[in-house]
Amino acid sequence: MLLRRRQFDADLEEEMRLHVDLRAQQQAQAGLSPDDARHAATRRFGNTTRVKERSHESWGWRWLEYLLQDIGYGLRAMMRTKGITIVALLSLALGIGANTAIFSLLDAILLRPLPVEKPEELVLFGNGNPVGSTGGLPHGSTHLFSYPFYREISQKNEVFSGVTAIDSIEFAAQGTVAGGGREMMHCDLVSGTYFSVLGLRPVLGRLLADSDDQAPGSGPVAVISYGWWKRRFATDPSVIGKTVQFGTKGYTIVGVAPPEFFGTSVGQSPDFWIPLSMEKEVSPGWNGLNDKFFQSLYLIARLKPGVTTEQATANVNLLFKQILRNEYVGPQPSQKELTRIAQARIELTSAARGLSQLRGRFTLPLEILMTIAGLVLLIACANIANLLLARGTVRSREIAVRMAIGASRSRMVLQLLTESFLLALVGAGLGVALAWRAGEMLLRMATDPMQPAIVAVAPDLRVLLFTLMLTCFTTLLFGMVPALRATRLNLTSSLKEGRGTTSAPSRISLARTLIVSQIAISLILLVAAGLFVRSLVKLTSVDTGFDKQNVLVFQLDEYAAGFEQDARLGSLLQQIEERVQSVPGVKAASFSFFTFNQGEWSEDVTLQGIPRTPENSHEVLNNVVGTGFFSTMGLPVIAGRTFNAHDIASAPKVAVINETMAQKFFPGGSAVGHRYGFGDDPAHSGDIEIIGVVKNAKYEALQEKPQPAAYFVYAQRVQYLNNFEVRYEGDSRPMISAVRRALAEVNPNVPILGISTLAEQVDESTSNQRLIAQLSAFFGSLAVLLVCIGIYGLMSYAVARRTNEIGVRMALGAGRSNVLWLVMREILILTSIGLAIGVPLALAGSQMVSKLLYGLSPWDPVSLLAAIGMLVGIGVLAGYLPARRASMVDPTVALRYE
Amino acid sequence: MQRDEIPPGTLYLLILRTLARSGELHGYEIANSIEQLSEDVLQVEEGSLYPALQRMLIKGWVTAKWGTTAGNRRARYYKLTAAGRKQLEVEVSQFERVMGAIARVIQTA
Repeated sequence: MLLRRRQFDADLEEEMRLHVDLRAQQQAQAGLSPDDARHAATRRFGNTTRVKERSHESWGWRWLEYLLQDIGYGLRAMMRTKGITIVALLSLALGIGANTAIFSLLDAILLRPLPVEKPEELVLFGNGNPVGSTGGLPHGSTHLFSYPFYREISQKNEVFSGVTAIDSIEFAAQGTVAGGGREMMHCDLVSGTYFSVLGLRPVLGRLLADSDDQAPGSGPVAVISYGWWKRRFATDPSVIGKTVQFGTKGYTIVGVAPPEFFGTSVGQSPDFWIPLSMEKEVSPGWNGLNDKFFQSLYLIARLKPGVTTEQATANVNLLFKQILRNEYVGPQPSQKELTRIAQARIELTSAARGLSQLRGRFTLPLEILMTIAGLVLLIACANIANLLLARGTVRSREIAVRMAIGASRSRMVLQLLTESFLLALVGAGLGVALAWRAGEMLLRMATDPMQPAIVAVAPDLRVLLFTLMLTCFTTLLFGMVPALRATRLNLTSSLKEGRGTTSAPSRISLARTLIVSQIAISLILLVAAGLFVRSLVKLTSVDTGFDKQNVLVFQLDEYAAGFEQDARLGSLLQQIEERVQSVPGVKAASFSFFTFNQGEWSEDVTLQGIPRTPENSHEVLNNVVGTGFFSTMGLPVIAGRTFNAHDIASAPKVAVINETMAQKFFPGGSAVGHRYGFGDDPAHSGDIEIIGVVKNAKYEALQEKPQPAAYFVYAQRVQYLNNFEVRYEGDSRPMISAVRRALAEVNPNVPILGISTLAEQVDESTSNQRLIAQLSAFFGSLAVLLVCIGIYGLMSYAVARRTNEIGVRMALGAGRSNVLWLVMREILILTSIGLAIGVPLALAGSQMVSKLLYGLSPWDPVSLLAAIGMLVGIGVLAGYLPARRASMVDPTVALRYE
Repeated sequence: MQRDEIPPGTLYLLILRTLARSGELHGYEIANSIEQLSEDVLQVEEGSLYPALQRMLIKGWVTAKWGTTAGNRRARYYKLTAAGRKQLEVEVSQFERVMGAIARVIQTA
């Protein structure tokens, strides 16, 4: 474009030159002197610049030329006032960067549609939140379904073009590729229709088909993800036909999924997909292909064109009840069964954005952080508006000159806005660079650092578009008012005095308004930061009940070593415990089903000889542990005994319970010696004998209230226990290798899936709160810094403008302290107004975040007072320097000052 | 000698007519030709020819190509297109309608 224009100009100039030359020649022939002839010719031709401009205009290039000019002016203006530019750019980079980073996370987790064909046609049965399996007759809103039900609904429905089933559990285990070394792998079990319902095409080979998903065990094939293909196989096309050994079975790789497709669950990206027909081979406990009561699948379906969700819901629910009535109960169903069927229903929800466990966890925090980041950007905008207002004053002479020689006001406003946009654009560029890394960092802070990144957060086109819109918006926000102000001049006085004295008072009052609103917004941010930080402190100082220090937790996979759940497994666990206990420095070691924050297994119980009351009808959390568990975890015994070597499979079944269960279920007496059983069948109420009571602990989360809990010993209840805890003294690093060696000695085939510490597990459980607290504190300090700059700038400017007045006051006898007070009083007034506006807003805001607080009322006086104190302090600090400068004014100099 | 500015809106008409008569001309020749044909009564503000020619290029009434003058200088020669010929008819009939109307107004006054 630019090149073409240069050519255009050159052509036009040559044409005009020829014209003038020929005319001059003609005039000369008519008898004029060469000089006169040239003058006459030029006169007759007219204004060449004007001709050029009008020629450009006719091509519609005027706006472009203005734009280029304005960008030139803007760059020059930015370079001239370097201080202002740097401060503005920094504020913008931080403001826009923070918004971009948070938005990229928000977009990845909450907003982005699945990269599949027409995602808006996809519906999910239920809400997709439960994970695992449920048994029994469905009742109420249903979210998990069995494989036989999936088959029936696919055949009988009239509203879907296809239905697919996905196992609600993502399977992770160590496996091998083509006979190589062991490595960690993640895999999703899906129905054969999975890829066709989603409308995906392979980049290599083929995807799964319904023929892979027939008789149990009949489809040992895998489709691998593009990410895994790239990571593990360096996009080698010969991957097709290789075998992945996963669990007890080998799977032939038949194809590679498209690059953008990560799966249907945001936050999980399986390495490969295998057909549901291989369910039992992947996990022996997961054998539900022919069991209509083994409900562990999510169902996703594609609506036929023209079918609405309402029509589909009606059809699905009708079929649901029919299927339940005909196949899930006998010919003479009981009243209870009929009620359950009547209540059973399926709500169809949109699956356009996929499923996500992350969504439930992060929606509120992300929304709060997005709001906070938005408020910080507002403060930054107010600051820049103030800086531009001040600069507008300095430039009023330039603007007056340009308007006096004919620039229109709209042209000037456009120029000033272009300058602002330029500023915002450079700031946004810096901000995106900042956000690039920040987004990943945020994610690391929020999630398990051991796991691979769960969602892609690198700024993509959507995010960049968001940033661009944000940039335009901020430009208008901070640039419009100063531009309008700067061009509303009284030309004569501006030109005469060179200082915009006439419009300055209103300009100052506008600046004051901006400062007041900045203080009010900062208060909201500081109060929020205070609440989150104090809440986190309370949370982390909660007594866990167990001693989290000096405990290593090894994640072991006994299943992969080929052990069935029988006595051999029990003796393996025991051997490992005994061997590791003999390692020097190890004080205690034990297996357990759960440590902390790993899920729950809860049961209804019936007490022997004690009638049910509301007090003792509470579900009980259960854990299966080794004999050394209580000493490993540092849980003191309060009554009775803990497990010992005599509690074997053939001995009476025993349990150790916690204080809460003892108090709630056996008030007034000792719990030891009582018996109870699972479920509500009185016949089983004598199954388990209570032998001891241990101290309460936190089981699932630090926030939880005391819950009744019971422990069983694995010798009486053999099962895979993935957690192996080791209490040690001394240094952890040599201890890890010593334990590794000991494990290898016992059985080299038991893979270690992961190693962490109990303290890390506890910290991990509060990562969400930590993220919010850290970010809100960071944003709060950022806000304070911006306000500080804002107040300092405004007061410096105000003092500079009032130098003359101050000089007069001092000449008339005002003391230095009077002048100091004069300025400080203004700051205090502004701060007070800002706080008066901010307090009710902050209180309203706190109410909205109350769900995320622990042990604090949202109207926490400490947070509020600290925030107020901090802002007053900041105001005084930022105002003191300009005030001192004012009081140092020499009256004789000041009076001569212009 | 009295010279008159051309009436507003007639510049296109004059250029189109000149080109229709003479085939290919460069800017100076167009200006000269208009003045001579009008027996030096009509004077084109010569610079204003060029923006007008650019607009006519955009509208597709004329085409331009570079050639060499008798004095061996590079010059841009303009030539009428079919669309330009049609436009000339439109402009002529429009001008005659307006002039006729004005003439009637003057005569009846």
